[in-house]
Amino acid sequence: MKNKKLTLALFSGSVDKLTAAGVILGGAAAEDMDVDIFVLLQAAFAFKKENAMVNDRVAEITDKKDEFLASLKALGTPHWTEAFRTAKEMTNVKVHICGFAGKVWKGVKLDDFIDLADDICGISEYMASAEEADINLFI
Amino acid sequence: MNTEELAQLHVDKSVDARGTSCPGPLLAAKKAIGQIEKGQVMEVLSADEGTKRDIPKWCTKKGYEYLGTIEESGFFKILLRK
Repeated sequence: MKNKKLTLALFSGSVDKLTAAGVILGGAAAEDMDVDIFVLLQAAFAFKKENAMVNDRVAEITDKKDEFLASLKALGTPHWTEAFRTAKEMTNVKVHICGFAGKVWKGVKLDDFIDLADDICGISEYMASAEEADINLFI
Repeated sequence: MNTEELAQLHVDKSVDARGTSCPGPLLAAKKAIGQIEKGQVMEVLSADEGTKRDIPKWCTKKGYEYLGTIEESGFFKILLRK
């Protein structure tokens, strides 16, 4: 039987939204879904090698940022890169960096991004993936 | 299956995911299910309230038999048959 498919348009480069994306990826991995992640504009910043582990921006409830980050740590929540990595180990996850988004953050080669990234692509790949997805999310 | 019957089941594989939050217990279950044979019983220990609903749903989707949940002090045991 063909696996179900999740297509994720990942726009946010914020730790809170990336962490949420990691949780959803965990759910997809548990169900053996195929996953395509398209790393768009601000997310490409978070995927740059020099930013991934030090970026601590949050998108929502910014006045509670310190409490939020401390709580994640206290709960032993894996860093979002770890959650993504676990999902990649457990199911078929491909991470595509949008070529335009990469250039915005001066990332033009795959090597400019963390090793979770599989390729650099254009928008038509997102359209094709979204058309055939069972679930299509924008985060 | 009532709690007494659940407690008497022979457990072939126990997964302790009490140190993790969602989706940790589900992922731990997913990793461990490959280590047991069809018909064998696995228990998942979790302290994350969401797991009580996650595992039964996951069982339905994956074709495993959800057997029931035993409430313990500060955590619970979720039993399923592959």
